[in-house]
Amino acid sequence: MIAAAGLVLGIVAGLFLEPTVPLWLQPYLPIAVVAALDAVFGGLRSLLDGIFDDKVFVVSFVANVLVAALIVFLGDQLGVGSQLSTGVVVVLGIRIFSNAAAIRRHLFSA
Amino acid sequence: MSTDPPEDHRPKHARGGRSRLRAALPPRASRGQLVAALLCALLGFAAAVQVRSNQDSDLTGLRQTDLVRILDDVTERSARLQAEARDLEQAREQVTDGTDGSRAALEEARARVRTLGILAGTLPATGPGIEFTISDPAGEVRADVLLDALQELRDAGAEAVELGTVGGPIVRVVASTHLTDVDAAGVEVDGTALEAPYRFRVIGEPGTLAAALDIPGGVLDVLRQRDAQGSVTQLEELTISSLRPAPAPEYARPAPEDATDDDG
Repeated sequence: MIAAAGLVLGIVAGLFLEPTVPLWLQPYLPIAVVAALDAVFGGLRSLLDGIFDDKVFVVSFVANVLVAALIVFLGDQLGVGSQLSTGVVVVLGIRIFSNAAAIRRHLFSA
Repeated sequence: MSTDPPEDHRPKHARGGRSRLRAALPPRASRGQLVAALLCALLGFAAAVQVRSNQDSDLTGLRQTDLVRILDDVTERSARLQAEARDLEQAREQVTDGTDGSRAALEEARARVRTLGILAGTLPATGPGIEFTISDPAGEVRADVLLDALQELRDAGAEAVELGTVGGPIVRVVASTHLTDVDAAGVEVDGTALEAPYRFRVIGEPGTLAAALDIPGGVLDVLRQRDAQGSVTQLEELTISSLRPAPAPEYARPAPEDATDDDG
């Protein structure tokens, strides 16, 4: 509940504060957001599975974001940044879908 | 990261899932809950910021290589469009030049047709000139006198000539005109019989034409010797409206422009 409130609070803050994204963060932010989304869906699923653990969630969240950013950074250095970003987004998208499917089964038994 | 155990199809957990969700709803101020909430807030914040910045501009979110590629594309596209514009301008110039040239040629051809029409007697002509009336009570004016008069007029710069009987038939005089004596009286001009009194109507410089007829030993003197009278009237404006058809040459054809005079 507190997490959901925090999510809403963050969205509202982002919409109203309108900060500009620092230049060095611009390539990483979208990937980081997708990775964090994956972590959140994973956390929700584990909650429904009854195996949710705060510590695991925090670690997975941070690690997801960092690894995604690292991959993008590495891709940029190798000159394949856009392709690698696409790859990361695809992988994370697949994971989000499978997590969402598990959550759906839990909530709707279907 | 431990968020992806292999998917299991366990509908029997559905009840448990919902109840667990319900159980998680009441806020508990544990440290882990707060950290998770903080991370979720961070996610929402970042997502909102990203969405917002993505809406602001298409290009600011792109990385350097993409920007370079886009710049290349734009440069190439602009070069291509410039080349196309150059081609089209060239084509337009050619077209306008062509129409201008053909219009000028057409105008020139029309002017030529008018000139040649006057010379060939297929077009009416108007301008200053003289009327030269020959009364011939004695019947002594024959084709030779009229031909002399015509030659004098031509020498004096007559540009369009018609010859006729006063109040009678009129013949347009052209380069091929021939005059023949008729046995009894009068002359035949290009197959048309004319009788006295005759009248030349001539377009040219009136003073020159009149003077050409009046020279000593000239046409008027000859007429006087033959008991005939010639009277010349200079006119500011007269119209020669008698026409003749232009005969189509049966054998002669225009020679090619590069043909020389002495070839086969």
